[in-house]
Amino acid sequence: MEGIYEGLTTALSSYNIMMVIIGCFAGTFIGMLPGLGPISAIALMIPITYGMEPSSGLILIAGVYYGAIFGGSTSSILINAPGVAGTVATTFDGYPLAKKGYAGKALAIAAYASFTGGTIAAIFLLFAAPALAKVSLSFQSSDYFALMVLGLTAVAAFAGKGKFLKAAIMTIFGLMLATVGTDADSGVSRYTFGSLDLIDGISFLLLAMAAFALSEALMNVIENKKMSKEEKEILNKDIGNLKVTKEEFKEMAPVVGRSSVLGFFVGVLPGAGATIASFLAYGMERNLASAKEKLKFGKGSIKGLAAPESANNAASSGSFVPLLTLGIPGSGTTAIILGALISYGIQPGPTMYIEQPALFWSVIISMYVGNIVLLILNLPLIPYIAKLLAMPKQILTPLIIFFSLIGVYLVTFNTFDIYMMVIFAIVAVFLRLIDYPMAPMILGFILGGMMEDNLRRALTISDGSLNFLWERPITATILAITIVMLLSPLISQLFSAKIKKEKLT
Amino acid sequence: MTKTRIGSIFFLIFSSFYFYQSFTITLLPGSHFETMTARTFPYYLGIIGIVISGLMLIFTYIRVDDEDIIDLKNFKTFDFKKGAYFIVAMLFYAFTIRTLGFIIATIIFLIIGFNILEEKRWKVILLTSFGVSVVFWFLLTQILGVYIEQGVVFDYLLGDRL
Repeated sequence: MEGIYEGLTTALSSYNIMMVIIGCFAGTFIGMLPGLGPISAIALMIPITYGMEPSSGLILIAGVYYGAIFGGSTSSILINAPGVAGTVATTFDGYPLAKKGYAGKALAIAAYASFTGGTIAAIFLLFAAPALAKVSLSFQSSDYFALMVLGLTAVAAFAGKGKFLKAAIMTIFGLMLATVGTDADSGVSRYTFGSLDLIDGISFLLLAMAAFALSEALMNVIENKKMSKEEKEILNKDIGNLKVTKEEFKEMAPVVGRSSVLGFFVGVLPGAGATIASFLAYGMERNLASAKEKLKFGKGSIKGLAAPESANNAASSGSFVPLLTLGIPGSGTTAIILGALISYGIQPGPTMYIEQPALFWSVIISMYVGNIVLLILNLPLIPYIAKLLAMPKQILTPLIIFFSLIGVYLVTFNTFDIYMMVIFAIVAVFLRLIDYPMAPMILGFILGGMMEDNLRRALTISDGSLNFLWERPITATILAITIVMLLSPLISQLFSAKIKKEKLT
Repeated sequence: MTKTRIGSIFFLIFSSFYFYQSFTITLLPGSHFETMTARTFPYYLGIIGIVISGLMLIFTYIRVDDEDIIDLKNFKTFDFKKGAYFIVAMLFYAFTIRTLGFIIATIIFLIIGFNILEEKRWKVILLTSFGVSVVFWFLLTQILGVYIEQGVVFDYLLGDRL
């Protein structure tokens, strides 16, 4: 209780509230730019937080995260261009609504649904996080190692049809990049090729900025997409009334409730997250809808818009549960946040809950404050913020590239970092062009060091034997889940092949 | 050629190189008594990388998804030239940021960037590039107290002020 009180006073200090507001606005703006997602938004803001108190920095980042998701919904609804995979489902019914001239209403519904999703998830988080933190206190290095293997496998397993191996190799790629630099245990340098600049390893900010912000900006340049006439028209039109009627609220309420709960639990699962949550919620609502309502889906249904919006917001809060309690991120975005935490000198996990309760609770509380800020400040301003979407790309893109380069350079003042970023960005663009996902790579990279460390400890305790993998029930259970997950794409493929055969015969 | 095949070949080469290089990691004396050395983790990562990319490569010969085939029509609409120009501009920025100093290097980089993307209005180009670099420099040095070098050229011309 004392921790909650301390967290409350930290989160509600005027400076930190200002940080949430700045974060939400910056996040909304960056998230709205097509192609730039929350990972880029957070990476771009991290250099600014280096001079702050860890709690303020983290609060700012939480604001950016929520803002970026909100911004993603805005561009999904207005110009059918989701900045993030998590808001793709929003376009299904959001964009048709905007086309019909109800852009304002669609944006308001999205905002109310997100807010409710965030609120329900925050309440769940309030109970789930401490409970899980207490359980995880009994975890040993072998359990942590197993959890990390589970997390990395889950990211690959949830990557989508036919993408399992692609995501798996990207995870391994990230783990490989994490071994560059001095080995923490023996002090031996690895993969530095004699370069002094690589002795400290590759900085996570550099990799995140190159693989996300910089390569996304470069992809924008290469793809050279121009806004269609129709999209321009919608932007230039008045977005219409922001009011949502009582009947519409009544129609939304059960949808939002169901989707939020679903979203939260999907978000807690490692590897799942906002994208899967939003699609699941959309699918669930369409199945539950009456035959008459079903026809509305995809043509501007209020339910079809509210479901993914509340689910993706709830999932984003849910994804903080494993990060804050176990110190293990389940998604690319939480991996970046973990990277930021580590660079502030904080190791999240059960010890953070016990040793720094104020920080732990202030983050949870400010996430909620972020939701409120989005609703009462961003929503009324959305007609003006939306105008920014019309800002010419030829001005924005060079500025984003400049901010990514300078953000990394200002940390080390080493031009080698810029050269390295350029190389990574080229590789990232190449991998994006051939559809290899980036998020598993950053997750592998962040977990690499910890994974090796925990494996070493577990092996040392078990005297070099692999017994540790099945001796402890927790480790064995986690690994069993991992194996099921590894086999699930294979099993589902076999099943679908069998069903097809049966249908044919 | 499918996208997966190109990627799997890339990762097969990368993983093989990574695996091979893991043998060059120096081992400390007495390390053979240890259960896990600096070499162990990279060694196994290399093997897993080779196995996964090898499997991917084999699978591309068994079954091909239509989505995976490279759509040349789509590729032709891509403007790789502009991307390449930007890469050169970034390298140039890295090269000039210490010699010409933050402000001038940034102004030049932004002007080049706007021009690559065919912004025609010179008033906008100059105002944005000068504005952003000067305001950002002011924010950093005067408000946040970050020290930024004035640039080697200025050291030479004006003398080192430190």
